Amino acid sequence: MRGNGPWKMAAGVAAIALLAAGCSSGSSDDDETLPNTISIGIAEPESLIPTNTTEANGSQVLSSLFYPLVRFDEKSTPYTVAAESITHDKANKVWTVRLRSGFTFSNGEPVTADNYINAWNYGAYGPNAQLASYFFSRIDGYAQMQSVDPDGDGPEKAEQPKAKKLTGLRKLNSTTFTVTLSAGFAGWESVMGYDAFLPLPKAAFAGDGVLAESYGEAPIGNGPFKIKGKWQHDSQIQVEKVADFKGTVPKVDGITWKIYQDVGAAYADLVAGNLDVQTKIPIESLASASGDLGDRLQKSPSSSFSFVGFPIYEKEFQSRDVRRALSMAINREEMTEQIFLGSESPATSFVSPVVEGYKPNTCGENCEYNPTKAKQLYTAANGPRDIKITYNTDGGHKAWVDAMCNQIKASLGVNCTGVGEPKFADLLKKVEKKQSVGLIRLGWLMDYPLMENYLGPLYSTDGSSNYYGYSNPAFDSLVAEGSAAPTTAAAEKKWQEAEAILANDMPVIPLRFGQNVFGHSEKVTNVTMDLFQKVDIYKIEIAD
Amino acid sequence: MSDMNALTAESPVLQPAPPGGAGKSRSLAADAWHDLRRSKIFWAALVLIVIVLLMAAWPSLFTSADPHDCVLSRKHAGASGSAIFGYDFQGCDVYAKTVYGARYSIVVGVFSTLIAGLIGLAVGLSAGYFGGWLDALLSRFVDVMLGVPFLLAAIVLGKRLASNPENSNGVLAVTLTLGILGWTTAARVMRSSVITAKNQDYVAAARMLGAGSGRLIFRHILPNSIAPYVVVLTILLGINIASEATLSFLGVGLRGDAVSWGISISEATGYVRVAPGPLIWPSVFLAATVLAFIMLGDAVRDAFDPKLR
Amino acid sequence: MFRFIVRRLLQMVLTFFGATFLVYALMFAVQDDPIQALVGERPITDSQRAALTERYHLNDSFFQQYWYYVKGLLTGDLGTSLTGRKIADMLADAWPVTLRLTLIAIVIAATIAIVAGVISAIRRGSIFDNATLFVTLIVLAMPIVVLAPLAQLIFGIKLGWFPPTAGKDANLYELLLPAAVLASLVVATELRVTRASVAENLRADYVRTARAKGLRRGRVIGVHVLRNSLIPVITLIGVDIGALMSGAIVTEKVFNIPGVGFNLFRGIRTEDGPLVVGFVSVLVIVFLVLNLIVDLLYAVLDPRIRYE
Repeated sequence: MRGNGPWKMAAGVAAIALLAAGCSSGSSDDDETLPNTISIGIAEPESLIPTNTTEANGSQVLSSLFYPLVRFDEKSTPYTVAAESITHDKANKVWTVRLRSGFTFSNGEPVTADNYINAWNYGAYGPNAQLASYFFSRIDGYAQMQSVDPDGDGPEKAEQPKAKKLTGLRKLNSTTFTVTLSAGFAGWESVMGYDAFLPLPKAAFAGDGVLAESYGEAPIGNGPFKIKGKWQHDSQIQVEKVADFKGTVPKVDGITWKIYQDVGAAYADLVAGNLDVQTKIPIESLASASGDLGDRLQKSPSSSFSFVGFPIYEKEFQSRDVRRALSMAINREEMTEQIFLGSESPATSFVSPVVEGYKPNTCGENCEYNPTKAKQLYTAANGPRDIKITYNTDGGHKAWVDAMCNQIKASLGVNCTGVGEPKFADLLKKVEKKQSVGLIRLGWLMDYPLMENYLGPLYSTDGSSNYYGYSNPAFDSLVAEGSAAPTTAAAEKKWQEAEAILANDMPVIPLRFGQNVFGHSEKVTNVTMDLFQKVDIYKIEIAD
Repeated sequence: MSDMNALTAESPVLQPAPPGGAGKSRSLAADAWHDLRRSKIFWAALVLIVIVLLMAAWPSLFTSADPHDCVLSRKHAGASGSAIFGYDFQGCDVYAKTVYGARYSIVVGVFSTLIAGLIGLAVGLSAGYFGGWLDALLSRFVDVMLGVPFLLAAIVLGKRLASNPENSNGVLAVTLTLGILGWTTAARVMRSSVITAKNQDYVAAARMLGAGSGRLIFRHILPNSIAPYVVVLTILLGINIASEATLSFLGVGLRGDAVSWGISISEATGYVRVAPGPLIWPSVFLAATVLAFIMLGDAVRDAFDPKLR
Repeated sequence: MFRFIVRRLLQMVLTFFGATFLVYALMFAVQDDPIQALVGERPITDSQRAALTERYHLNDSFFQQYWYYVKGLLTGDLGTSLTGRKIADMLADAWPVTLRLTLIAIVIAATIAIVAGVISAIRRGSIFDNATLFVTLIVLAMPIVVLAPLAQLIFGIKLGWFPPTAGKDANLYELLLPAAVLASLVVATELRVTRASVAENLRADYVRTARAKGLRRGRVIGVHVLRNSLIPVITLIGVDIGALMSGAIVTEKVFNIPGVGFNLFRGIRTEDGPLVVGFVSVLVIVFLVLNLIVDLLYAVLDPRIRYE
């Protein structure tokens, strides 16, 4: 009676499984794409709330949903967009922002000064834990909005901050407001180009200073596009044109931001024609990319800067000659040519060439490949026999760290090992605990196009990303003097003097300046990328 | 239902095993050895395994080149001199790296499989044989272990063990991860074949004749139920050697300047379109090693399985 | 039978809490600085750190944290990921596609394994037997980190037979290629076990008897041998379904499928305790149900096995 039971059962199970697999996937039919719509590959954004967005993916999506106060031209000089004018007093301390009139959010609300003030207050308020909150630290009253945990990581809870609003923000009329800084800063207009300074509509707030929970899932902005439906996590974000947008009107009717977990997968889709723009071609694919894409493979400058740092507690690197020797032992050209296939260029300065005030080769002889001199210096300074380079394994750094180690081995005749930590936080933890890490891999992308955005965070004593603990009072005061200078030109002079100190001290080894290496399908043309690793959504258009 | 009844009714009654075993006939082991000696597959597999083990123990017998001697300027260069497989993208000698890679790949593969095999055998055998609450407890324990993601275990072990500089290359962490989490399949397969075997008539017969648990397990049930387990285990060895590559790829495998087939393979994968050599050679060695162990497993199993006599 | 099932369901509850406790403990052990992990390479200010630490109870002891989790669970709240998303939403997003992928993979693997395994066992030592052995070994010896990108390159890009990536709302056709890659992880083991098990049963006395009774060879193999050989194979398939659901990290990454494996990977990477435990909880329930089904199938396949 059970005749061919197993077979029947197997067939039945298989049929049910396949039916289940086939049926439940009908939902993909509704995103029928319009002919004038393009797709751009990104990774899952961390957040779509402007004051909580500090990485390129979220920023890229926000660029379509919002219209910033200023944008930057090819020379990184800011020009006003949503602002009619931005003026300042003599001391660069009080800045007056006048908004263009007639602009609305995509839900119809007019854009007013309040939208900016409320958004910035929300972003600056410590307990909201907004990742971009540090951008507001130059504004008067920021410190009073932060809470200090009395016992660090201990169980005691932090007190509520004294203030909920920035005292430096003042509304003059519905389209004008002033920003008072705690100290004069000539480059403030550039800073305001960042996402943190975008406005939020009334609809974003559930109460005074409380953001509606659903806002981050479907942000309403003042930009040329509005979100279609909601953020489909790990899948896509679709945006469509806003009817009669008052500002610059993009040439495409809609953008699908396709979310990829892995650049390799995005590249496969690009080559197969399922994706229109990929903003980052993976290094391994570069060798075949020119064959796959032809002239649709493009490059443009980016602000990225890669280097290795010497943690201050690593006694063996306290000799300047040891640091110089290690720098001279590295053949940067060979590395950028062989490992990066020319997609990055050798760095011989401490700030990126994309900012005004950059001088080539400030590092001078110290960054020139010279194995003979390197070995002399190293032996004379009695450098360590074993070198370690610690890096995080989730960022594709192994290839060049290994190559760098091989160069050091060959030049100095010492042993060198690349040590991988699963992620950057693990690397930082080791540095924090003062464990032996050797050299540490670091990188920097600028927030706003000023030299100070490299010098301040990376090399000043209290710099937010100065993980290696470099400290030189002379350097700190030059950076501060530059920031307080009346004009950006005067500021740059001071900053250049500061950079000269770095070239002498060699607290880090500059390695490479990055580029945007991107590709697009035959469907689109006029694809350009800016210094912030974002596609210019106003220029891109459909090819004929 | 009829066929099953027919089976039990018509099965010949088993002869009780002669007391003392050895007596007139040869022991199981001697029998097996007699068979194995004449098996070509056995010898072929053994030769391969010996070569690989030699490579793992004394790589300098096979090459005079240093796998860590890498020069970028000869990236992806073709074969020359002693570098018969050419150079990889770092300009390292692919042949030397493959030879030196045998050590950690074999160590990780063999020891993790041993750990997994022992735990799997003990758990599967006792769960299947004793049944009842012990079975329930052990089976649910298997379920709990199945729930632990490999990656998580690898990170925890990697972090805890790496603080000791002796283990900083990650070999111990990877071996333990694969061993401690890899036994569940073996255990479940063992349990299921033990359940089948213990319901067989010869086991019932032996029990009626007064055989104790130990004797029942090791003389009657184990030999009759070990076949699927050996198959799973030999394949597990292959999987473990390959898994080391996956863990390394995910950044939680071998660290520092450790050389292994897995690392070589995962590094070369990205460049397969420009230079397939550095991917192919370690893969060939890995496949041959896995093949040898599986052939050996097959031959040994055939020789020991009384039902195949 | 009924009592057996009830008993198993009770055991499941204990197992479930055992597994979540173990995984929570492991996540706690791995948690060094989840806040830094969340922001990647960006610096983080003290006041943000303080606010986030308080929001996610990161300062509390392990047992306190686990208690918060269990309390939430009992009230139907799976908690919030450190990225701010509701874990229930993330589960609802990730499970359907993983379920489809795994089912297709296991159907592919089981079909190939059983058909080829039976044929190999009948013709042991034949060209077919050796060829399947060789092919499955090559597949087995190729780490998935090689196999997945190669399959994508050859079948997705060069030949263009399948779309190179699948995505969240992938249909059956789009999932075929990743499912085949995933199936390669388990097909070798299943095939070898089928072959070994069938070969053994072919030599059993009842086969000789059945043949002697004049039954056709096809019927003997298809009914008698197969049923008796399937127990280890079914066991394996049961385990494999579970393993594939959580173990598809590389496949999901290469083919851009935001499923369970990918979410686990991300959660572990960012030290996101609630996220990992949430996904593992559901995985454990799936394992438990699968095991129950497999054990019940034993009794179907072999009437001598009885549960009471």
